[in-house]
Amino acid sequence: MKNGDALVIGAGIAGIEASLLLAGAGRKVYLIEKTSYIGGNVIKYEHVFPNLECATCMVAPKQQELLGNENIVLLTLSEVLDVKGSSGNFVVKVSKKARYVDLITCIGCSACFESCPVSVKNEFEEGLSERKAIYIPCNGALPNVPAIDTKNCLRFTKGENCQTCKDACMFDAVDYNQKDEELELKVGAILVATGFSQYDPGNTPQYGYGKFSDVYTALELERMFASNGPTGGKIKLKNGEHPKSVAILHCVGRKEKGYCSTVCCMYSLKFVHYLKEKLPEVKIYEFYSDLCAPGKSYQKFYEEMKEKGVDIIRARELKVAEEGKGMVIKSILNGKEDSLPVDMVILAPAIEPREDAPKLAKVLAIPRDEHGFFREEPYAPVATPREGVFIAGCAQDPKDIQDSVAQSEAAVGRILATLRSWKG
Amino acid sequence: MKGARVAVKDSIEKTVLNILSKAIDKKLFDVILIPIMVPAGDSYAWVLAQDKSLLDSASSLPPIMSVQGAKALSSVTRMGKTNKKIAALMRPCEIRAVIELSKLSQIELDNIFLISMDCPGVLPLKDWLKDPTKGINSFRKVIQRFVDGDPEPDQSVRPVCTICHRFYDSSAVDLHIGILGKKGEYIFFIPHTTQAETIFAELGLSFKDDISHWQNGVDEVLKQRKKKRSLVQEELKPEVIGLDKLLDTFSNCINCHICQSVCPICYCRQCYFDSDKVKQPPDDYLMRAESKGNISLPPDKILFHLGRMSHMALSCVGCGACEDACPMSIKVAQIFSLIADRSQELFNYIPGESLEEPLPLRVFEEDELHEVETP
Amino acid sequence: MEEKIGVYICECGPNIAENVDIDKVINVVSSLPSVGIVERHKLLCSEDGKKFLKQSIQEHGLTRLVIAACSPKQHEATFMKVCEEAGLNPHLFQLVNIREQCAWIIEDKERATDRATRYVRAALRRIPYHQPLEKREIDCNPDVLVIGGGITGIETSLLLAGPDRKVYLVEKTSFLGGKLREFEKLAPGMESTDKLLKHKIKNVEESENIKVFTNAEVKGVIGFLGNFIAVVKTGENEELEIKVGSVVVATGFDLFDPTKIPRYGYSKFDDVYTSLEFEKMNLNGKILLKNGQPPKSIAIIHCVGREERGYCSAVCCSYSLKFARYLKARFPDVKVSNLYTELSVPGKVYQKFYEETKAMGVDFIRAREIEIKEKVIKYLTEDEKEQNLAVDMVILTPAIQPSSDASKLAEMLKISQDEKGFFAEEHEKLGPVSTSMEGIFIAGCAQGPRNIADSIIQAEAVAGKILSSIIPGKKLEPEARTSEISEALCIGCQTCLEVCAYGAIYFDEIKRVSVVNEILCRGCGNCAASCPSGAASLKHFTATQIHQEVVEALR
Repeated sequence: MKNGDALVIGAGIAGIEASLLLAGAGRKVYLIEKTSYIGGNVIKYEHVFPNLECATCMVAPKQQELLGNENIVLLTLSEVLDVKGSSGNFVVKVSKKARYVDLITCIGCSACFESCPVSVKNEFEEGLSERKAIYIPCNGALPNVPAIDTKNCLRFTKGENCQTCKDACMFDAVDYNQKDEELELKVGAILVATGFSQYDPGNTPQYGYGKFSDVYTALELERMFASNGPTGGKIKLKNGEHPKSVAILHCVGRKEKGYCSTVCCMYSLKFVHYLKEKLPEVKIYEFYSDLCAPGKSYQKFYEEMKEKGVDIIRARELKVAEEGKGMVIKSILNGKEDSLPVDMVILAPAIEPREDAPKLAKVLAIPRDEHGFFREEPYAPVATPREGVFIAGCAQDPKDIQDSVAQSEAAVGRILATLRSWKG
Repeated sequence: MKGARVAVKDSIEKTVLNILSKAIDKKLFDVILIPIMVPAGDSYAWVLAQDKSLLDSASSLPPIMSVQGAKALSSVTRMGKTNKKIAALMRPCEIRAVIELSKLSQIELDNIFLISMDCPGVLPLKDWLKDPTKGINSFRKVIQRFVDGDPEPDQSVRPVCTICHRFYDSSAVDLHIGILGKKGEYIFFIPHTTQAETIFAELGLSFKDDISHWQNGVDEVLKQRKKKRSLVQEELKPEVIGLDKLLDTFSNCINCHICQSVCPICYCRQCYFDSDKVKQPPDDYLMRAESKGNISLPPDKILFHLGRMSHMALSCVGCGACEDACPMSIKVAQIFSLIADRSQELFNYIPGESLEEPLPLRVFEEDELHEVETP
Repeated sequence: MEEKIGVYICECGPNIAENVDIDKVINVVSSLPSVGIVERHKLLCSEDGKKFLKQSIQEHGLTRLVIAACSPKQHEATFMKVCEEAGLNPHLFQLVNIREQCAWIIEDKERATDRATRYVRAALRRIPYHQPLEKREIDCNPDVLVIGGGITGIETSLLLAGPDRKVYLVEKTSFLGGKLREFEKLAPGMESTDKLLKHKIKNVEESENIKVFTNAEVKGVIGFLGNFIAVVKTGENEELEIKVGSVVVATGFDLFDPTKIPRYGYSKFDDVYTSLEFEKMNLNGKILLKNGQPPKSIAIIHCVGREERGYCSAVCCSYSLKFARYLKARFPDVKVSNLYTELSVPGKVYQKFYEETKAMGVDFIRAREIEIKEKVIKYLTEDEKEQNLAVDMVILTPAIQPSSDASKLAEMLKISQDEKGFFAEEHEKLGPVSTSMEGIFIAGCAQGPRNIADSIIQAEAVAGKILSSIIPGKKLEPEARTSEISEALCIGCQTCLEVCAYGAIYFDEIKRVSVVNEILCRGCGNCAASCPSGAASLKHFTATQIHQEVVEALR
């Protein structure tokens, strides 16, 4: 009898959807998540295209369902170390880092943060703000229980007997005695849904990222606009003023990576809505090469965003340069050199696989393609050459949320079809 | 648009009834639904007549509206379609109510042929009852003045009739008989459907005549009516805006709910405001008395009116049956028409104008009513 | 039996306790009628709290339960389960939100306490009117009806079919395979279509668990999730009744008719072909002009009908590249020009496919206002210059639109179409293959223009949805808080039917009244709100229940 349980790696929207469907089918699901929170990249966005729905409101019911589902074992701060066996009979070794806060007694009141003496850059907020060594990445992140970052907590880095968080907790939820664990899980199928990382525009110095203070990446703008973000939703320059003109540059890293990341044109148009909502008078310029708006709804979205007031400019050889106290976008426009002064630049960087994708690929013994994405079987977009191991979402190929969800459901289809009879 | 110009012989009424009689002869209709004077001579009743001799006591424009025509028709076809062809001759407001009831599945229009006539209004029942014979005579004069082209509405008709701006045809009718424009010398048969053309062609009517005289006649009257309507409604507003004013205006109301029972649009088996849902446990009323200092009984009088208004205003055709029936002579129809006009405007909806146009509250459109959003 | 209502106020740690004077609330509430016991607890949703509640319900013999705590969205389900375990009907319970709606938003403690008291009193006034709604269970048929035998229908059938689940695949033409049958190769790998299609079709035909009906059409479908009955016309006069639990619409697409845009010269000039016509020519090995000669210069025109349809068909840029390769393979010296507006090559593979195709010597010209004349194309370049391109063959890439019988099917299945005519998915982001009718799914180009790999994904996604929810032997538990229509009060105006988004109301032609299908009903309340006489009412949210709650809250 084969094991019908499943291991899902990555608790972003694809992982969450797959877990819920598999649990609904009566299977036990181990959902492995590297960070301390679920929701992946989607919960970083305030709104999603094309209906401009509130992203957190949209995924909240699924997240709640997941957290309350008895068939789903959520293992945060966890990573897959080793996979042995075959379809229907995998043995997976998982390393589970200690959170040092009890998931059941903690009520998420955040009293422990205030007193922590250590402040570091908050990765969730793309470095735009800081967090403590005991932290929840942002307001509303789930599970609503903090974790201790052992790379920065004084107890773990310097062996100091700092107890400020424990003392602040009314429920005695902080427990320094928790230990990292190594778990052995027996499952029948594995789904890789580890999502994507944003290409670092520091690799393309012509865009001035890291050089000029008001050049931002897409994720940085998302966090700026987010009502639960580091600026409380205010879009400001580093000097505290509001930008009067913004340039959004598409295709950052496209040439270097060698593929089109599918979603940037659409979210760059979404940014028009973001900017106009906070700064109705702002002047927006979108520099693009080819408009990618495939499918039945995206062209309409493009036209609606255009109406909000944006100059859409097709130009080549874009460079961000300094001019006086501000910046200019230099380009070749209609065959001639052009220079456009702007206060703020937003870059739409390529989507690439996660940094640890090569490691995970090795552990799972599945191949990656030339761009580093997990490689699917020809005409079987969720299957890998290793039977029983499936892939879905941006881990496989850059795609939007709708297609990621569809692909995760497809992976569930395959899992349930191949593991029809199971013990349980 | 073209029509058939028909010379009037004897009277408009007789001319119309003559043609209808011929239609029955030729079996173009099986039955006619038309008001007929009762044997006692003091009222008119809707009769489904197969025997054309009944047409002798029929009236195409009776002086009173005893029962709203739509109610009469709905009692026949609420439970399904008829197999026989029925021609129904009604006033424009009654036709409009028929169309609205049809959208509410209370009337099945298959095999029903709708005929309307320009309408000068109708006499209030209380006045008629004082002396029906005088009523018949005075109404003849009302029709004559109307047909002669006097744009001023006759003051002897129902107050809402004096401000009626829909006294001519609805596009949803099959055949309309225009009586304005030619001072009663000619009337115009105006078909709105091919069925109407076919049927009446069998009676020798050819719809090739120019109807601009009638159209002009209608326009003249309409201009005045619209002006009068806005004037009267402006005057009425201060009497009803604000809860205190409303309470004053309805202070005489005796909660009989007759307005609701005669209204053609009020089709519910049991009115919400008569149901258990508005009956509260005794404590509730005592609580209200305590918190407000007092409570008038029976309770929720204004709630009934406002509730009924919110349920039917979008389909209100302004026939005035409610005001006419009210034993306390409250200006129900005038008040309801005032609100009906404003709310129908909001949805760009004209009740009874088109069978295809769905009732506004049944249709959800993402992009509408921005004017009522909070900025 | 005498009512004994238990009221439990959760402190939620400091969240509620610090901002609401709970003792004061207890004071007020204790004296209210039928209230048997009022207690406070530190954290009711904790394991400890839940145990405490269960014990209390049983010990005190509570007949109804009010809990004042956090948002129902958070823990209504949690506490309902506790009620069930304690033997109390879970609908005889009300969760009052004094956290998100009081403690967390009102700074002044007195005001917050007043509001919390108000809300609890309101719940206590409402709860005597709660009904012990019963859980329902219905059988469900695991079999599936798949409409459309193209790649999407085939793929979903293969995944779904099993010894415990039959699939009925209905195809209106004589063959399985859909549009792919006429493609020689598939982008971007340029493998033979046969490789993909042949064995899949063989598997379908040989499967014991898939019954294929070709030259067949679905004539009608009635029923609901788990219990559909479909009527399929299989021959001249033969009709078959099939019982299934779910339906998949995979009816694919048709091409936009280019005669609608005369400047493309379709059916006006010789040698102007649509993409599907060209695929057929290529498959038959006959890429020839009308005069029998091989073409020397070919133009592929992108975006035909894009403006008219108002969307980008997603696949044309990529298959145009495939066409360029077909042509270069057959006629190495042929001139191939692509006239396009925006080059759309999303994803990890297509950019490389484009660059390599371009390197074969294929021209890419950004062009507007294209006019096809006899053997020449007039167009405007990016910088507004007029240009002419001499060609002897033109291939148009017309927009992908829903198949011609989409509207008929939509009506039959009571599913919606969007404004472009594609079947509408339940949720634009999170429900790509479900529809608002539970049990009816859509996939592939029937849902929106997409390429083969994405159609396969959607086909498999449907399988995922069905395999995870309609399980042989599993009973479906429909919503308990549904709507009901009083037969005595209903006068059949069908207003409720018109406003029901789930097709859960049907009209009984004989009784002339509207009736709720309690299994399809999702308890949204639209019908109850729109019924003027109150004949339609929503269980657990009746006019009386709401009225009592509101009146007390405002007192």
